[in-house]
Amino acid sequence: MLLLTVLSGVPSLYALKGFDQVLPWASLALPALTLVLFAVALSRAFTMRQVYGGRIVGSILGAVSLVLMAGSVWLFVNVRDVPASSGAPKVGQKAPDFTLTDASGNQVSLAQLLAPSASSSVAPRAVLLVFYRGYW
Amino acid sequence: MDTPDVSKGLSSKAGYTFTFLSDPKAEAIRRYDLLHVGGGPGGIDICRPAEFLVDRSGTVRWVNLTEDIRLRAKANEMLAAAKKIP
Repeated sequence: MLLLTVLSGVPSLYALKGFDQVLPWASLALPALTLVLFAVALSRAFTMRQVYGGRIVGSILGAVSLVLMAGSVWLFVNVRDVPASSGAPKVGQKAPDFTLTDASGNQVSLAQLLAPSASSSVAPRAVLLVFYRGYW
Repeated sequence: MDTPDVSKGLSSKAGYTFTFLSDPKAEAIRRYDLLHVGGGPGGIDICRPAEFLVDRSGTVRWVNLTEDIRLRAKANEMLAAAKKIP
């Protein structure tokens, strides 16, 4: 029981940091595995009480692993909660111009990025704008 | 959202050569409707992830607005979109 409850918490911990780029659903599979392990642990605790002993410790660990699992599921749902951005420019629309400071302190506008640069006389075919959350 | 100093540290550490722009007041972020209110550490406003491919005339040719911050545009998707631009 002890070992199994601790083990059942481990997948949740993995799920907490499971920011899998390719398959975020994997972080749901792990809590599901937790539930299975938890059920196994629960039945073992009741059938082999003398082997695993400590019903109190077992219950506490069991509760902890359930909380961890719930937390990882909550995080999974909550992390998807990004605004809809209905006003964002769509394909075919003009990208609004802006002027911002680059890493060296220079003012750079989108129009500047789309124009020929000092190093080459040819304008780039396109500019890729990547907005990211920051705080890396 | 990061300041120029933070961007400088990040780009030099990772060896990035593309332009990093800072928008600590979320001016461009608001203009593109990408503000994620209360989405940052301690409930501050940050930028939601988004990618736009803009052609020479300033027209958006491709856009990716993820609904899941863990799912971002992949490099091959962006390259494929870029190759379609004459």
